[in-house]
Amino acid sequence: MRSTIGAALMLACCGAWANMAAQGQRSQVAGIDVITDRTNVKDVVVIVGTLPAGDAMAESGSIAIPTLTGMMLDRGTESLDKFAISAQLENVGAEISFSVATQSVEIRAKCLKKDLPLVLGLIASELRKPALQPEEFDKAKQQFIGALQGSLQNTESRAEEAFGRAIFPEGHPNRPHPVADYLTAAKSATLDEVKAFHAKYYGPAHMMLVLVGDVPVAEAQAEIAKDFAGWSGGQDYIRPVKPAVARGPREVPVVLNDKPSVSVILGQATGLRYRDPGTLALRVGTAVLGRGFTGRLMGTVRDKEGLTYSISAGLAEDTIADGSWDISASFAPELLNKGVAATRRELDKWWRDGVTDTELAQHKQGIVGSYLVSLSTTGGLAAAVVTAVQRGYDLSWLDQYPEAVNALTRDEVNAAIKTHLDPKTMVLVEAGSLGAAGH
Amino acid sequence: MRPKVRMSTAIAACLMAAAGGSSVRASFAAAVAPGFSYVKSSGGIDEYRLDSNGLTVLLAPDHSAPVVTFQVTYQVGSRNEVTGTTGATHILEHLMFKGSEGYNDPKGNSVKQFLERVGGQFNANTSVDRTTYFATVGRENLEGYIAIEADRMRNLWLHEADRQSEMTVVRNEYERGKNDPDNVLLEAVTAAAYVALPYHHPTIGWKSDIEHVPIAKLHDFYDAFYWPNNATVSIIGDIEPAAALELVKKYYGVYPHSPQPIPPMYTEEPPQIGARRVVIKRPGELGTVVIAHKVPNGRDADQPALEMLDAILSSGKNARLYRALVDKGIALNAGSATDLHRDLSLHTVYAALAPGATHMQAEKALLAEIDRIKTGGVTAAEVARVKQQFIAADAYKRDGTAGVAGEINEWIAVGDWTLYISFPQKVEQVTPADVQRVAKKYFEEDQSTTGWFVPVQQAEKGS
Repeated sequence: MRSTIGAALMLACCGAWANMAAQGQRSQVAGIDVITDRTNVKDVVVIVGTLPAGDAMAESGSIAIPTLTGMMLDRGTESLDKFAISAQLENVGAEISFSVATQSVEIRAKCLKKDLPLVLGLIASELRKPALQPEEFDKAKQQFIGALQGSLQNTESRAEEAFGRAIFPEGHPNRPHPVADYLTAAKSATLDEVKAFHAKYYGPAHMMLVLVGDVPVAEAQAEIAKDFAGWSGGQDYIRPVKPAVARGPREVPVVLNDKPSVSVILGQATGLRYRDPGTLALRVGTAVLGRGFTGRLMGTVRDKEGLTYSISAGLAEDTIADGSWDISASFAPELLNKGVAATRRELDKWWRDGVTDTELAQHKQGIVGSYLVSLSTTGGLAAAVVTAVQRGYDLSWLDQYPEAVNALTRDEVNAAIKTHLDPKTMVLVEAGSLGAAGH
Repeated sequence: MRPKVRMSTAIAACLMAAAGGSSVRASFAAAVAPGFSYVKSSGGIDEYRLDSNGLTVLLAPDHSAPVVTFQVTYQVGSRNEVTGTTGATHILEHLMFKGSEGYNDPKGNSVKQFLERVGGQFNANTSVDRTTYFATVGRENLEGYIAIEADRMRNLWLHEADRQSEMTVVRNEYERGKNDPDNVLLEAVTAAAYVALPYHHPTIGWKSDIEHVPIAKLHDFYDAFYWPNNATVSIIGDIEPAAALELVKKYYGVYPHSPQPIPPMYTEEPPQIGARRVVIKRPGELGTVVIAHKVPNGRDADQPALEMLDAILSSGKNARLYRALVDKGIALNAGSATDLHRDLSLHTVYAALAPGATHMQAEKALLAEIDRIKTGGVTAAEVARVKQQFIAADAYKRDGTAGVAGEINEWIAVGDWTLYISFPQKVEQVTPADVQRVAKKYFEEDQSTTGWFVPVQQAEKGS
């Protein structure tokens, strides 16, 4: 498959962008979905990849195992220890990193064009043949436990955890586990569990590699074919058949001591995936409420009333499974009640009356413009490609997206708001020093 | 590699990436842009001066994408504040979004309305040495942004009602920062390390000053520092130099040179005469250790060797601090960095304690690694590895315009934008002997400030 990323819409939208057209190529190489996209940058290649081996894949086993497995990837392979791997990268100024998200392991790398074979070879070795040595496993466990302990005091992550657990039912891939449970699981995790998880979930099936920049396409594909030859296995993402259902109104306090700012989340599960009808309309409508400095929330709760430094609204976690909608903000404890009341007031008004034609036109233009600017770097383009493909689109979506946004009508947007959201049943989470607010 | 200047961001963070160039070019635009004096070029960046008012202009054409990053850097930061006005620079930065005579919310053309409507990626931030406003936009929107940015240089609305509502916004920004014990520790270490220099106080200011600084003081600040001869405009991206200069002259050329000289900051830091220590105790889980030493200003000839030293200590798994602290289970992470300032800068090594590790254990390990460099030096292989990283970083800079602007901005603040080009080259000239020399010169115990964050366990409730 071959697609011209960026060209068609840019020509239709504004002539200035027509020069930005980049060539995207997509093919199966060694069982991996490989996408390459050449841009004007010289000598630089950015690699972004995904593999379905995230936290949600823990199933009934230890919930710490997916993250611990991901942490073991850069701690040595069957042929190189971690210092040798790092030295090879440092000697050419290249970078490789792995992180574990809800459903996927995310691979990120950056290198000079001349070093692409080295970097692809190391990524392949680290994914396929991690050493999984006991000594390194103990160190990974200690660092994971330390990081978890640190997050216990973070108001934002504690609010997100409480919100996710309040809106997603048991068994839903987007339902997070409590940090305390992760701590318990991490302490008792075994290397055998990591080896079993790696054997089951790491493989080319459903894996994606995106290479953007000064990419020598044929050479890169040949290198991937060589480095990943003979690899098999892998699992698909978890795609719940039945969407999550909100359980009704509730307020969830998370009390943390000595926190001068309270993190607040107000929202609900949507039951929507990104590609579902109505999701894009809801996203654009939500932009009117909570995007940037000109969204209604910033315009009122921050600019007019001075109640917060940061407040925004958006949809999340809907790439693979059905996701969530929320308003996130921070308030001083003594302004918390006033801030939440102001937030609810704006939410209710937006939900009840919808958006205006003027607001919709302005935010559509801003969303499209910002999207096009974001494609001007290799990192921005790579991220857009990965997200689009994970959402189930082909590369032509990158051109079609602005058209889809521009085609939305006010009636469609306001109907999506009314259909998919209900302020009366939303969950309110407050994390911080709540005693100071008189709670 | 970029200058590691600590800043207190004002209105959220933003972009990344880079662009640039490598060849030194002739002053093409100077010949076709009357009213400007060509000053110099370095690495594909040309410097001009607007003759009528002293505005400095940097141009870096990059036609790889139809976007442009425009930024204006004012040479005013928290270093220009005194007791009672700490945080004033940052509050003023916030008020710069409240509207100006020609561009404001009632007219529907304010900087926020314009830039969000055209999809610009924009922001502003304040550091110890400078205040910066910037946006990346499609090239067709460059003139619209310059017009707004120029108007608020001299025609800003500064209303008491806006100060009142924005004060609580800034105070919440301050409070959010205080949620993180490591930020509180770093603030305490910095305040102890600097006694006289205004780097002593945090860029966001002390809470009482944020709450009480009068609008008249902010007026004074604006009228003292927001002038063309105290500003540098940088335009990076899909531009034609002559046309870009014409736009700058059209919108900034209407202003005169400041009527009074820009107020100088003449305070000097007295010599430190002994080691200093601070301890922060708050609810938390794991401790942190920071050891700071004052080092010369960011333009100093010793800074490239300090940069090399930082990379050897903290870049990658072969870095000395990783091997000595992280790999040995003493720290979750450890690093070494230099905050490059216009005046005396601050070098820090730090360790975030691993479960079970003690503060003293981490402090001794950090000091042992510094002593190893002082007594045994570094290897040629370590130096060679860092040089390769700088070579690669130079190529990475070409990916996008906003990253270039961000780096140039920090060097403008330090006092010499050409270091954006020459600093990496100077790092590539550093020898192992240079690294050992600067370690011996600056990392004396009597010149240190050591900080511990000691977590205090307290019961929690709720989910």
